Parts: sequence; C-alpha cells; structure tokens
Amino acid sequence: MTIATTTFDEEALGRLPAAPPFVEALRKQAFTEFLALPIPSQDTEEWRYTDLSGLELTFTPFAAGVRAENLDGVDEAILRAAGSVGERAGLQIQHNSEVAVSHLDPALAAKGVIFTDLDVAAREHPELVEPHLHALVPTSRTKFTALHGAFRTGGTFLYVPDGVVVEAPLQTLVWLDADGAAVFPHTLIVVGEDAEVTFIDRYASPDLERALSDAVVEIHTGPASRVRYVSIQEWGSGVIHLGVQRARLARDVDLRSVAVGFGASLARVESESVLAEPGASSEMLGVFFADGRQHFDHRTEQDHVAPACHSDLLYKGALRDESRAVYSGWVHVRPGARKTDAMQTSRNIVLSDRAKADAIPNLEIENNDVRCGHAASVGPVEEETLFYLQSRGIPRDEAERLIVFGFFQEVLDRIPVEEVREGVAEAIERELSR
Amino acid sequence: MSEPATLEVRGLRASVEGKEILRGIDLVVRQGEVHALMGPNGSGKSTLANVIMGRPGYEVTEGRILFKGEDITDLSPDERARRGLFLAMQYPVEVPGVSVVNFLRTAYRAVKGEEISALAFRKLLKERMALLGVDDAMVNRYVNQGFSGGEKKRNEILQLAVLEPEIAILDETDSGLDIDSLKQVATGIAQLVGPNLGVLLVTHYQRILNYITPDHVHVMMQGRIVRSGGKELAHELETKGYEELRRELGLEEQVGATT
Repeated sequence: MTIATTTFDEEALGRLPAAPPFVEALRKQAFTEFLALPIPSQDTEEWRYTDLSGLELTFTPFAAGVRAENLDGVDEAILRAAGSVGERAGLQIQHNSEVAVSHLDPALAAKGVIFTDLDVAAREHPELVEPHLHALVPTSRTKFTALHGAFRTGGTFLYVPDGVVVEAPLQTLVWLDADGAAVFPHTLIVVGEDAEVTFIDRYASPDLERALSDAVVEIHTGPASRVRYVSIQEWGSGVIHLGVQRARLARDVDLRSVAVGFGASLARVESESVLAEPGASSEMLGVFFADGRQHFDHRTEQDHVAPACHSDLLYKGALRDESRAVYSGWVHVRPGARKTDAMQTSRNIVLSDRAKADAIPNLEIENNDVRCGHAASVGPVEEETLFYLQSRGIPRDEAERLIVFGFFQEVLDRIPVEEVREGVAEAIERELSR
Repeated sequence: MSEPATLEVRGLRASVEGKEILRGIDLVVRQGEVHALMGPNGSGKSTLANVIMGRPGYEVTEGRILFKGEDITDLSPDERARRGLFLAMQYPVEVPGVSVVNFLRTAYRAVKGEEISALAFRKLLKERMALLGVDDAMVNRYVNQGFSGGEKKRNEILQLAVLEPEIAILDETDSGLDIDSLKQVATGIAQLVGPNLGVLLVTHYQRILNYITPDHVHVMMQGRIVRSGGKELAHELETKGYEELRRELGLEEQVGATT
C-alpha cells in the first residue's frame, strides 16, 4: 500500500492565519482526526454511491482572496455571481479562503444582529461562536469534516437575537477562482427565540481544472423561530463539492430550507433536520439539474426525536447527457416521537438514455402513533406531453425545456420569499438554456 | 386572398403497434370548409386525426398527407403546426407547472414566428377569451391540471382561437361533455368557423352538428371512408344508426377494433 502524499500537512496547518485559542484547539483536534480517518469507502452504506477512493488530497490549503473596503470595490464578475436578488439586508462575499467584504444593514446591527466573517466572530463574539461551532457537525464525522475543521478559514456567522425579525434576506457568496485550491465554506447560523430570518448561501466559480469545496452548514434555532435557509450551488466544472448541512429544531420552530444544486463535477450533499423539541416543523425542498458527466449524491435525513413534529421533503431533479444522480433519504422516527407527521418525495426526470437517476427512500419508524409516507419516481419526459406541446408548434427541445421548468415550478411555488423564488427561477432558466 | 390552404389525404394506410387501422383514406379539406367525420367507435376516426398531426406511435405504411401542396407525411408535429395545422385533442394532456398563458404565449411565438410582449399577448388573449366566454382564473392555472372535462375542451378551443391555424382537426371535442358544456364549446367553435378556417370535425354523435353546420359529412367504418355526402347525411345517420348503414353497405361487424 502506498501512502498518498497530501498538501494538508502540519506545515500547512501552521501557515494558516492565527485564530483564537478555542479555534486553534479545534484545528489541532480536527487535524488529528483527519490523519486517523480513512477516505470514506464505497463499502459503507453512506458512501456507496460516490467513489472518492482515487481522490488525491493535494489541493492548495489556503488561497488568498482580494479584500475590498466595501461592495463597490468588489469585482463585477463576482457581484454578478451573487445574483440579481432584489433587496438584501446583508451581503458577504468570500473570495477563495478569505472573506472579501461583509455588509449588514446598520439598522439590523443596532438591533444586535451579527452577520460577519466567522473568523472575526470567533474573535469578537467567542461566547456565541464557541458553543455552536461544530456542535451539530462534529469534526470527527468523516475525514472531510475533520479536514474542514482543521483548515477552515473564513465562513459566515449569522446571529439573530431573541424576538428580532429580519425582513429582507441575507446572503453570502463564496467565489472560488484559484485553480487547484480547497475552500472550506462554513455557515454558522444561530437564531434566537421567536426571531425570524432568511439566509441564502451561494457557491459559484468559473470552470476550473480541479478544486475542492468542503462545506459545513450548521443551523441552531431558538424556540418558535422562523428560519428560511437556501443554498444555491453553482460551482464550475472541475470542482468537487462535499457538503454537510445540519439543523436542530427547537420547540415550535418553523424551518424551511431549499437546496439548489446545478454545478460542480461531483457534488455530494447531506442535509439533515433534527426535530429535537415538540411542535417543530421542517420543510426541505431540493432542486437539481445535472448535465455533462456530473455526479450528484444527495442524502437527506428527517430525524424525529420529539413528539408532534412535522416534516415534509420534496426533491426534484432533472438529468441530461451522461450525468448521474442518486437521492437517498431517511425518515427516522425515534421511540418517543409520537404524533409525527413526515413525508418524503423524490421526483426525477431523465432526459437522456445515458443519464441515470436513482431514488432510494428509507423509513425507520419506532413509534406506532405516526403518519409517514414516501414517494419516488424516475422517468423520462412523457411522450404524450411532448406531443401535446409540439402539436402547438413548439419545437421538441423547447417543449422539453418548458416541461422541465414546469416540473420545477412545483418547488418554486413553495418557496415563500419572492427574491429567493426569483433567484432560483433565474438559476433554473440559466441551466435550461445552456 | 391567396388560394385557400388545402389538406389532402391520399390513399393513406396506417398502423398502430403493427395493427392496421387506416386502410386507404382519401380526403380533401379546404380552408373555409367544415367537414364532419363520423363513425362508430373503433372505426379509425381518431387514428386519422392523430396521423394527420404526426403523433408518435402511428406508422404510415402507405399513402401521403399533403398540406398546401407540400408533402408533410414525414414532418414532426411542431413543423406541421407551424405550417398551419391544429389538432384539438380528445384527451388534452396535463402540463404541471406551466400556466395556460405561458403555454399559449410560447406556442404563439412558435407558430407565428414572431416575438410578442407579455402585455400585447395578454390583450390578444383577453379578446379571444371574451369571444369564447373563458374566465381569467382558467388561464392562470396550470395547463389542464385539475380542469373539468368542459374546461379541458374549452382550453383546446381557446388555443385554436389564439393560434389561428388554417386547418383544424377537432378530435371528439364534444365527447364527455354535458349539455351545457357542449353548448358552450360548440358555440365557441361556431364563432371561429369562417373563410379563414377549415375544420375536420371528428365526432361520434350528431348533436354537435346542431351548432356547427357541416358542408360535408363523411362516414368512416373499418378504417375506410364508406360514405360521403352533404349535411343531410348526418341526419340520415341519426335516424338509421351506424348499424343499419353497415348492413346496407354489406360490411361485416368487426370485433376488437380500436379508435
């Protein structure tokens, strides 16, 4: 057996920008875990659909970005990638491994809202960051979360105090243009009791030879808070995106999340909602579009721990060319979670004979007093529907685009914030007109 | 006006899943004429309608279809539509997530080959809706999703009104409708009939002809047109029934035929 060389060594770790003691300790511990853990094997159930055995961990551990005084100082192309989303309460742009600029509506800052570089937050608000950082996604989870814990720089910290309502969405764009680099986007959201916020994570890059995005999203919610979380993954080709998103729902929390996946050569994303206290409700929507030789592996978990919680998941995907997509979802109902209401639906349109999609729903129910269901489908665009549109003069390829857009419309209709809905619709249209 | 557009079906034979349904059809429909194509279930009327529009799964084994003097037998359905043909479907298909307005505007642009602003299109649509008595709510819904039988057929006629084809084939547009819906749909069609539109009205029953007077009536049985005549033929059929005509013509009853 050969020992693969890696750029993620002790020396590289030592070169990272200095961090507060609790972050340094976390880095050290995570680095030890990284060395000890194997690259996940396809022999394990969790990784059976994605083969990373040949992945060489030889990415540049830290790639500098261009910092800007304010948003006016940010490159045009990067601002464009942030999307033409209307009014925003805040925008942060991370360029490669560094946060370039961070803007928050001063009125919100005055109310105690914090929206900034995670490294800055760790220095300035350790009491808020330390108890939450890697609390939901431990560094020891896999070799990649350990790598993330050890080498993360930048990232987003969002804190909304009790009772504060943030009307307009906040957004972070992570922009990667350093070929060969690894970035570690981290979003840490802490929402207080009865607070409300909408946050959009956006990942974008030009096409690259080779890059790694090793991302973690942690969403901590206070009782009765309303949180909307949207992620839009539009990495260029060449990027390997490995993401873990985990939310913990407190009592009566209403969490609505949307995951949009269009980019990267390989994207494996795990999205998890833990319904930890009674009365919580989690909606998880997913939209993805794969083409070329893209490989998507989406895993979701609706984990019902507490009684009387509701969760509803709808993932819709389209595949073209020689792409491959696997959706596998779990609904767990723990013994104490009586009166659970859980639904999980996965729909896939396959637009080419050479593309392949799988949908694998799993229910694990340990309480009898529940209502759970799942549905899954994989298939081409119906010839009947195509003929109907063609008989109205619409050329076949345009008819197909219209049908696929309509297919996604069901998800769009359920996105509550208009800016977000439009942003996602735009992204779908871009993808469809490629 | 230039020469009226003509649809010509010549010696057409067609099969579905290897089974011959059309056994030599000759038919000419000109712009401005209304032809009723009648016949019992399984006679091949709907097959003819679908073959003319180029539905996949219907194989032409012999004969040609000409439109405006050009052979369209091998053209895709969308090319036929852009040349001015239209088929109102017997079973309109649901298109989830696509509103009637969006669908119609896309089709309009494709058929007319010109851009139209959302506003201008709304105006045009409003006019046609008023003509046919279609309400606003319907056009904002997703195509045929959750539509009643009557709404589906009205939607087909609305499409006909907006796309303004030269020849329209209406495949059992009257089927599955109650008396009130039938009246509404039929009067809608009657409004559109005129010198600019040729119609091939495929129907099992005579009742729709109370609203739309055909210039020609054809009776189809066993994959052939067995009798053609004027509007009086429809009345004759109503009194006699298909059974008696079959006996008169000395045709054997067929078992297991499909439409």
